[in-house]
Amino acid sequence: MTFRIRHLAALVLALIATFGMFLASPASADAPANRAPRAATCDGPGIRAQVNDQANGEKKPIEGVKITVNDASGAEVVTGNTDATGRVLLCVPEKATYTVTLDESTLKDGQALDGEATVTIDGAKFTTNTRTINFFTGAAVRETDGYWTLLVKAIVNGFRLGIVIAICSVGLSLIFGTTGLTNFAHGELVTFGGIVAHLLSVSWGINFILAAVITVFLGGMFGVGLDAGLWSPLRKRGVGLVSQMVVSVGLGIFLINLYLMRFGGSTKRFQAYNQQTAMKWGPIEITARDLTTTIISLAVLIGVALLLQKSRLGKATRAVSDNVDLASSTGIDSAKIIRIVWFLGAALAALGGIVRGLDEGVRADMGGSLLFLMFAGITLGGLGSAYGALVGGFVIGMFVEVSTIGIPWFPDLPFLGWIKNGVPTELKNVPALAALILILMIRPQGILGRKERVG
Amino acid sequence: MDWGLILDLTLKAFLGLDAVYYIVAALGMNVQFGYAGLLNFGQAAFMAAGAYGLGMAVNYFEYSWWLGLVVGGVYAAVLALIVGVPTLRLRADYLAIVTIAMAEMIRLIVRSVTHKDKFGGTDGLKGFADGFQDLNPFAQGKVYGIGPFQASNTAVTVLLLVIYGLISLGIGYAIARKRKAAKLVPTTLIAGAITYGITLLITSRVKYLGSELWVLIVGWVLVGIFSVFVYMLMRSPWGRVIKGIREDEDAVRSLGKNVFGYKMSALIIGAVLGMFSGVLFALKNSNVQPDNYSRAVTFYIMTALVLGGLATVTGSIVGPMLFWALLAFTDVFLSELSDAQGRVEIFGIELLKDSSARGQFRLGMVGIGLILLMVFRPQGIFGNRKEMALDGR
Repeated sequence: MTFRIRHLAALVLALIATFGMFLASPASADAPANRAPRAATCDGPGIRAQVNDQANGEKKPIEGVKITVNDASGAEVVTGNTDATGRVLLCVPEKATYTVTLDESTLKDGQALDGEATVTIDGAKFTTNTRTINFFTGAAVRETDGYWTLLVKAIVNGFRLGIVIAICSVGLSLIFGTTGLTNFAHGELVTFGGIVAHLLSVSWGINFILAAVITVFLGGMFGVGLDAGLWSPLRKRGVGLVSQMVVSVGLGIFLINLYLMRFGGSTKRFQAYNQQTAMKWGPIEITARDLTTTIISLAVLIGVALLLQKSRLGKATRAVSDNVDLASSTGIDSAKIIRIVWFLGAALAALGGIVRGLDEGVRADMGGSLLFLMFAGITLGGLGSAYGALVGGFVIGMFVEVSTIGIPWFPDLPFLGWIKNGVPTELKNVPALAALILILMIRPQGILGRKERVG
Repeated sequence: MDWGLILDLTLKAFLGLDAVYYIVAALGMNVQFGYAGLLNFGQAAFMAAGAYGLGMAVNYFEYSWWLGLVVGGVYAAVLALIVGVPTLRLRADYLAIVTIAMAEMIRLIVRSVTHKDKFGGTDGLKGFADGFQDLNPFAQGKVYGIGPFQASNTAVTVLLLVIYGLISLGIGYAIARKRKAAKLVPTTLIAGAITYGITLLITSRVKYLGSELWVLIVGWVLVGIFSVFVYMLMRSPWGRVIKGIREDEDAVRSLGKNVFGYKMSALIIGAVLGMFSGVLFALKNSNVQPDNYSRAVTFYIMTALVLGGLATVTGSIVGPMLFWALLAFTDVFLSELSDAQGRVEIFGIELLKDSSARGQFRLGMVGIGLILLMVFRPQGIFGNRKEMALDGR
């Protein structure tokens, strides 16, 4: 048992450092600031009717519309008029089958109901305490974007997702290259970034940009702590790579449950830069926030690529990633390089977590769900190659978003509807995962990887 | 603190259905990982294949429920082929990545609105277990004790005493063989008698609902069949080749064996066992829900397997039993420990602010446990360290 006290102490310190921060903040720190006020409530079940005018493309509440609720036998149960927010809450005695009728004579002139005036609520589906029924007047004006506009939008989204995946997976790939570890806990390093930044900026009220910088640094230190406390001792003990992979699974389970315990299971948003209107250049629409994060991320990526390509440190890193023994024999301190790789990789993952969190909100499993795309990216690029991770991650991100658009000129073939019509948004990750399997069939070493690594 | 309650619930989990379906899945992962060295991180997908095979056979194709087993088996085997063909020639970690990606893909598809007509979306499928529950000899809502002396009539008491006796004798024999005892018969009898006593004590404290008990009995019978199957399989020439592949693939190949074929069959056997596990889980809940087959499930089964010991049949049975007993114990213990506000304190140190977070707490402990096991005792409780010389080549 050569698991030294020093290493254990380092691991414990790293964990306490993170754990302590979580402990210091209450789990329910976010204020329900932008929730709409709910005026009245019912003691029992209720039906809320909302009447809105949608004629001009945006919803406007309509006041003073009479809504009547009848029970299954047709007898009137309750009636009421909508308030200034276009809503009315009607309390009903039990969760049963009702019909909700809007009195069209109470609508103002020029307002015509879009759809039926009477809606039936099925008692079997009356599960929540308050059922909401929506009525709209005026024909719906939906902006139907043309194909090219949609494509440009998807490309912009794909560009942003691709950059995030590329940033997150550089560390995954470099750590694999230098130590051989396939780190299944890498997604949790991404989540670390999102959660710590949320903690610092929202709960502690630190300026967001400062908080982001601190978070990226802490993320890097977290990586170094993990390496010093866990992975480096394991390597010294000669624990096999497959066993290390299982250890990383254990670490992932621990971290995600720690996050869930301290952060809760819901999605939380950063409060800074939240509600911005998009800037438009022709078909391209992007908010100033997203544009800034994209530019910063792109700059970071180029910086990392230059660092690896030009600097002594980067050359040494690539050498270790190619062949540890050979690199060590030329005088490179491979242990030091591995520490730097852990710092860099984990810091980049934390940055990815912040960017992703600005985009989609922070969740305890945000990194875990990105992990698959990261794997797809680095497999495409070539496991262990840093440039491969950059290129592959970017391609996968682009692929995920653009695959939702489809090719309308594609012939209508059975089983290939996704190519013609695009992938449903909820399934947009599926083609990327399928691509992962396909790449391994055709070219397992990826675009930039080397053949001797794969098997 | 009600120690009786803690003991009862722990023992109930020790013998319960969660342990049973984990055991079946763990046996499958053991064939793949423990014996053949194939790291399958997508066992949840094979379980989902079984569960959805059953559910779709009844709800979508409108077959009878036992044909669902065939449908599930076909699903699982096809999945294993799709995953295996590109990856089995590559290094171990590629299989891990691909299986975990495949499991996520399956989960996304079955929970999607697009395919709700077939898989039922996030609500999943229900009502397919009626045919199975119709065969249930127990009253569904009634609570049954499983101890011999809790039975209502003498015939059942005698039957249970005999069954538990035979099982205990079998365990005693296994212990005697394991210890390489000089006098086999006396050692078997002594070990068997001790096991018998423990079994009677445990069973006297445990009660199950009739609907649950029926699945439980079917499950334990399946566990018995599959354990013997895996045990015999690994002592057969086929099993020796499989273990040889784990140790040195090239050596086996140089003997003229078709390594790819052997690995593929190991993967499929594991997948079919996973499918049976999924079926048991679906029958237990009488529904299938996509989010019950997330990757976390695979990881927990893996932890239970490593706890028991890789490359041993005993390990894949005892591991999941202990795993669930420990989970249940932690759960009840923490909830008993919490004060009126739900705060949990041990020796004056605040452990949890709110005892409702104890689910996450105990799963976090599972993660720590897996790390510690892999580092300090990779062979688990029953494994042999020499058989655990796994590395990524």
